[in-house]
Amino acid sequence: MEEAIYFDNAATSWPKPKQVLHAIKYYLEEIGGSPGRSGHRMSISASRLVEETRETVGKVFNFHDTSRIVFTKNATEALNICIFSLLKPGDHAITSSTEHNSVMRPLRHLEKKGVSLSIVKCNSDGALNQEEILKELKRNTKLVVLTYASNVTGTILPVEEVASICKERNIPLLVDCAQTAGAIPMDINLDRFDNCIMAFTGHKSLFGPTGTGGMCIGSSINLSPLICGGTGSKSDKDMQPEFLPDQLESGTTNVIGLAGLKAGIDFLLKEGLSKIRKHEKELIKTFIDGAIHIKGIKIYGIKNQEKQVGIVSFTIKNMSPSIIGLILDRKYSIMCRIGLHCNPNAHKTNGTFPDGTIRFSFSYFNTIEQVEKSILALKEISMGKID
Amino acid sequence: MDGVITFFSSQQVMKAEKVLKKNGFNVMLIPGPREISPNCGTALCFEYKKEKEISSTLKKNKVVFEAIHYYPQVKKISKWIDS
Repeated sequence: MEEAIYFDNAATSWPKPKQVLHAIKYYLEEIGGSPGRSGHRMSISASRLVEETRETVGKVFNFHDTSRIVFTKNATEALNICIFSLLKPGDHAITSSTEHNSVMRPLRHLEKKGVSLSIVKCNSDGALNQEEILKELKRNTKLVVLTYASNVTGTILPVEEVASICKERNIPLLVDCAQTAGAIPMDINLDRFDNCIMAFTGHKSLFGPTGTGGMCIGSSINLSPLICGGTGSKSDKDMQPEFLPDQLESGTTNVIGLAGLKAGIDFLLKEGLSKIRKHEKELIKTFIDGAIHIKGIKIYGIKNQEKQVGIVSFTIKNMSPSIIGLILDRKYSIMCRIGLHCNPNAHKTNGTFPDGTIRFSFSYFNTIEQVEKSILALKEISMGKID
Repeated sequence: MDGVITFFSSQQVMKAEKVLKKNGFNVMLIPGPREISPNCGTALCFEYKKEKEISSTLKKNKVVFEAIHYYPQVKKISKWIDS
């Protein structure tokens, strides 16, 4: 059996650093308690771990008000809390044509209830001109939602410029950091751009386990909970607390997941984001420079490692992405994701709807040699006269 | 294998695989061909000549599926994936 090559890190990263496994085991064996609840030593240890995880997440976002770092089960939940909190019938929202369904589906849901929507077109390589956002602003615009980087092409969007536009007009900007937190420096300073919310997932470039995510909430933003319940605080009242993070964190916290997330981010910080980014840029460049010469291949997106995260999307002429994905898995042990990547709009922008693309997404643990092997595999497949 | 069944949810695919294997059918999970269906990301391959038996087995076991298709593409690449 050939060595497995895992190129599906934009779905979830694998492998995780060993420290993540150790931290999860340590929580189960030694910490054990429920945080913020009981006040005995095991409960306090768990509370301490959760707060340390907030501090650790804060280092990634350069944001240190840990009361405004809220944990959710994934980026989708954080995005939903914000979208449902900040928009009501009669309001207007702006987003881009490369948003994931975690953004589009809640927005479309609210559109049916009377929220109006402007979807700003990205160009064919997935890039967005911030001036286009400016043109769509209306008197009743109450929210702008933007992905930091496309989950289909990897193209990075000008979020800092958009944050500035929104800040001048006091409009909240919700940034979907699912593909960028832990992959590139977070350029939005939430102390300056207090109108911004950064929603993140824990299990991709932050190396945590699935079931972890959250958001950093700028100080001018007020949200309301999607679910209410026990928080361990204000237990004398049957009303939901109005202070953060408790207001948005009902029910027992996923401490086991957060133990892993903290260890994942600690690993990332110890290695250094610049070293990780440099390696991923080399992987992207190696792939694009090698694959571009394959007969019949078309690579989508900006095709510039400086302007994209470790995601590449491509098709091979006259071949179904599904069949290519199957051959890559069965013959070459290369695992990737084919299809539409929960993002029909991005594929419509690319011109790859409805067949979709083949997506390779790299992590720090991938090697140049693996990328070179994948290029050879694609060359063989493209010459295989399969149809 | 030259038949493919598409589903709406991966829960249905997992259940279908279990039911069909238990009933002695030879099946294989593959990435869902988007040219056939935009729905579930995983589809199930089988020998198309057994279409009727498979369809009735799924129905009998209350497994919901989207559609059954003749899909010779997987057979064409069998030399690539059997090695």
